[in-house]
Amino acid sequence: MANSMLLALLVEDNAIARVVVSKLMVEQGMALEEAENGKAAVESVKGGKSYDLILMDREMPVMDGHEATKQLRLLGVKAPIVALSADTQQCHKDLFLQAGADEFIEKPLTKDKLAQILTKYGLRRGP
Amino acid sequence: MDLGNLQRGYIDYISALFHEGFLDSQFTQLQQLQDESNPEFVLEVATLFFEDSEKLLNELSRTLDQQAVDFKKVDAHVHQLKGSSSSIGAQRVKNVCIAFRDICEETNKEGCLQQVKQEFYLVKSKLETLFRLERQILAAGGSIPIMW
Repeated sequence: MANSMLLALLVEDNAIARVVVSKLMVEQGMALEEAENGKAAVESVKGGKSYDLILMDREMPVMDGHEATKQLRLLGVKAPIVALSADTQQCHKDLFLQAGADEFIEKPLTKDKLAQILTKYGLRRGP
Repeated sequence: MDLGNLQRGYIDYISALFHEGFLDSQFTQLQQLQDESNPEFVLEVATLFFEDSEKLLNELSRTLDQQAVDFKKVDAHVHQLKGSSSSIGAQRVKNVCIAFRDICEETNKEGCLQQVKQEFYLVKSKLETLFRLERQILAAGGSIPIMW
């Protein structure tokens, strides 16, 4: 195992979605932390945490994905932020991109989509 | 019943679940994630889905029973159920949740709830049968046919 595993943050309010994405990430050799809403994600970063990738759900209680993305960018987060939503309306995509997300992926996240993301952002470890 | 018949029965049963729209490709994703390190992954996720959904449906019923219905709460519960069902590949449950949020008029929320309940208990029953078939195959010394 590599000395420093890449670390992703999954910001997702649905427990079952978190279980499935967690398994996907482990399969890809990535370490994963979870936040149940946008506010928890922002607090993590404010507390000094740093991530190689952030997967951001859109609709969450307390603080939604758009707002969390905005705040994370204001805090200086440079990691790729990939928005995840089952709702693919253009207005939501636009809001996310304006907030600072790098791209928008339709839920649910699959093995192939995750592999594409990791490859695109140079996060795949060697075979 | 011999192993061959059990396996053929399994293939027919799960094929029908996909064909009738109870399951979609996300369920296949879960099956592909199951491996030697986690040989009961699908069952674990399904069990979590059953428990979580029953709680949500009870909460939904309670919320709709109130004199002054908190429709924000209703929407939040249905949103959660939509997310869970989508994550496990329970397509028909996901679709009735989408309809609940998009189409159902305020006066028809109770009717929509009944539809969600019906689809949930249907897919729960079908998945329980599927897992029972898997146990029978394994008990007979066979392996679960791979459908992808």
